[in-house]
Amino acid sequence: MSVIDNLSAAWPLVANLESFLALFIGITVGVVAGAIPGMSATMAVALTLPFTFALQPITGILLLLGVYKGGIFGGSIPAILIKTPGTPASSATVLDGYPMAEKGQAGKALTMALYASCTADVMSNLALILFAGWLASFALSFGPPEFFTLILFSLTIIAGVSGKNLVLGLLSAALGLLLATVGLDLVYGTNRFNMNDPNLMGGLNFIAVLIGLFAIPEILAYIWNPQERKGSVRSLGGQHLSFKEYKRCFKSIVRGGFIGVILGSIPGIGAAPAAFLSYSEARRNSKNKENFGKGELEGVAASEAGNNGVCGATLIPLLALGVPGDVITAIIIGAFMIHGLQPGPMMFIANGDIIYALFLGLIISSILLMGVGSVAIRLFRYIADIPRPVLLPTVFVLCVYGVYAVNNNVFDIGVMFAMGALGYFMLRTGIPAAPFLIAFILGPLLEDNFRQAMLMSGGSGTILFRSPITWVFWTLTAITIATLVRKGMQRK
Amino acid sequence: MHKAKLLRSFSFGAAALGALTMGATAAQAEYPERPVTMVIPYGPGGATDISGRTIAAPLGKAVPKPILMVNRTGAGGATGSVSVKNAKPDGYTMLFARVGSHSVNPAMKATLPYTLDDFRFVGVYEINPVACAVKADSDIKSMADLVAQVQANPGKVSYNSAGVGSLLHLAGAMVLREFGVENPMKDAIHIPLKGGGAAATAILAGTSTFICTNSSALASFVKNKQLRPLMVTTAEPVVGFDAPTAADLGKPNLHKLVGWTGIAGPKGLPDDVAAKWRDYMAQATADQGFLDKMTARGSVIRLMNPEESEAFILDQYTIFRKLVDDLGMRIKG
Repeated sequence: MSVIDNLSAAWPLVANLESFLALFIGITVGVVAGAIPGMSATMAVALTLPFTFALQPITGILLLLGVYKGGIFGGSIPAILIKTPGTPASSATVLDGYPMAEKGQAGKALTMALYASCTADVMSNLALILFAGWLASFALSFGPPEFFTLILFSLTIIAGVSGKNLVLGLLSAALGLLLATVGLDLVYGTNRFNMNDPNLMGGLNFIAVLIGLFAIPEILAYIWNPQERKGSVRSLGGQHLSFKEYKRCFKSIVRGGFIGVILGSIPGIGAAPAAFLSYSEARRNSKNKENFGKGELEGVAASEAGNNGVCGATLIPLLALGVPGDVITAIIIGAFMIHGLQPGPMMFIANGDIIYALFLGLIISSILLMGVGSVAIRLFRYIADIPRPVLLPTVFVLCVYGVYAVNNNVFDIGVMFAMGALGYFMLRTGIPAAPFLIAFILGPLLEDNFRQAMLMSGGSGTILFRSPITWVFWTLTAITIATLVRKGMQRK
Repeated sequence: MHKAKLLRSFSFGAAALGALTMGATAAQAEYPERPVTMVIPYGPGGATDISGRTIAAPLGKAVPKPILMVNRTGAGGATGSVSVKNAKPDGYTMLFARVGSHSVNPAMKATLPYTLDDFRFVGVYEINPVACAVKADSDIKSMADLVAQVQANPGKVSYNSAGVGSLLHLAGAMVLREFGVENPMKDAIHIPLKGGGAAATAILAGTSTFICTNSSALASFVKNKQLRPLMVTTAEPVVGFDAPTAADLGKPNLHKLVGWTGIAGPKGLPDDVAAKWRDYMAQATADQGFLDKMTARGSVIRLMNPEESEAFILDQYTIFRKLVDDLGMRIKG
């Protein structure tokens, strides 16, 4: 069947009230869940899954996709307003989104986040529809050696988010790498820094670390010195984003969407690294480089484009190969199977109408996200007007509740407070928190893939140069480091 | 909006406090008098999670009070399992136990913070056949080919797992050993990945040679002709897998190599509570919707009574433990 035939067969499956309603409800649920700290998009999708069993396959899957997309956008709302990323994917958004909110530009930051999300979302969907087969085979050429070089390159992001002092940034990253080693050894299964506590066997909970590092220091800082910030008026400010501003960020958004699509189509990376990579690339190429981290609109745009660009693209390995790229798509694959559909190359032949119906649904979802997102911004913006003595305790309660909810484990709350103390210390001493977080996310990936590659080759390092992809990333890494060194020399 | 949320969490706290004090005063009333927490020791979307959430629907009808499903992940199921071991044995905290957390892990890890004796099983309800497969374009066409290759090039053939102590880790070694590879730990390489999904994908990407895992995890790849099944460990053929069974190949010992899911409570679970759970599970597993959903995913639904469950698990544990000791796979650090 040609594309046109498939599309005409698919249209009736989507063009009904149920499908639209499913997408609308899904996105709404996702945005709200994403906006609650600790309630990640993954959890929201997992909780929605049982409701899809009784629905038509296409309706059920659209519902889940709506939750997914809404959740990834929703996470940016608390990231910007209260410095607490609702989902790990939106932690890069904190870097510039929260400073903007401090300056009274929360409305602008939120609107930018929404527009960037939707733009990247459309790009991601188009990539899925047009290049699924091609990107999927590209993704399969990523084995541990290729992953290793990609992650190594991504670690150069640290230079981009370290602020003025690269040494402090590296110190922060080293600390992040160190704490990421807590848990069980990948290859030998032995204990590492567990202190024989079963709670530490699974490693430090990511959400607890995230919230502890960003939100708690902010609260502590206020308790310590309420006067310091009394003068600053936090209001929504000019809510409107001018077309000129959108145009200025457009290049970063497209770049972010592109990065999101590539990283999204490779199984096992996820949205958070994509957001950070997009952010650091935007900073590197921006004229306002100095303003990044202090409330730069382009930074918000790039991060949100990066993480939403991943959404549609994670469906590429799912539909083209039957491979779930991350936990969320693993849940979605479950929904396919419950209905007797088996994603993979055969599905394009056997159930082409359903695949094309999904494509159509995805396009509609970008438009709906725009609508639901605008309403959500309008509702959530009142948070910006709440005076701090009321807001911060509320945030505090939400943090504790949210961290507990991830794993229903009181221990995680302890982790959050410990990280909060560390984060406060870092805030006072000017050590940037972002490199810590990046190292904490990427460290385990780097280690795992390096060791898997070494197992594959029997300990020979040449496997790290086995394919053109590895060469590309080695070259990129070398260029980035050379540029950094040269700049450092010039400054002297 | 925000204030309302705050208010809600306060009222929730007050309610929880109320429930706590009430529970203390009316201890002897009929079980269950408050919601039951069921811990899934693995993350959302995994085999245990899907299985647990699927049975939760009919179970919710059988149990008179609400069931709270809780994912407590980490350390290959150990974090969640320990939390149930340490919970009060009153039947209000139950666990979805799985082959990885309750037979492979205890067999392999000396440092595991729990043993099988710390739990009282109320029933195993699901069995998953295990299948071994290679990439479709591989020149390995049968188990004989695979073993021949391992023996011809020791240290070149590799297999994937979902991590150290997962069913896949043990399965790869056990299958090779059954087919006459003397020391699979040395002659074949184990490449651990994080999670079952990643392990299956790595076969497609050519990271390693073969994989042995639950047939449900491989079904769609086999159907799409991306992977070629070499064998299934059950006595009966598995639908969709055009491969010989362990019985066909004359390896009946491999029949013990299957995945399973069951429900357990802490050790001191009272008899009356355990008896109630047996009834709940009998009701839940008879539900037609549940049966349809599970069998569609390749599971075999068979409810074992508590004694049968414990014997089944102990039997599997003993076999696994012997293999682990013979091969020196036990993790002591």
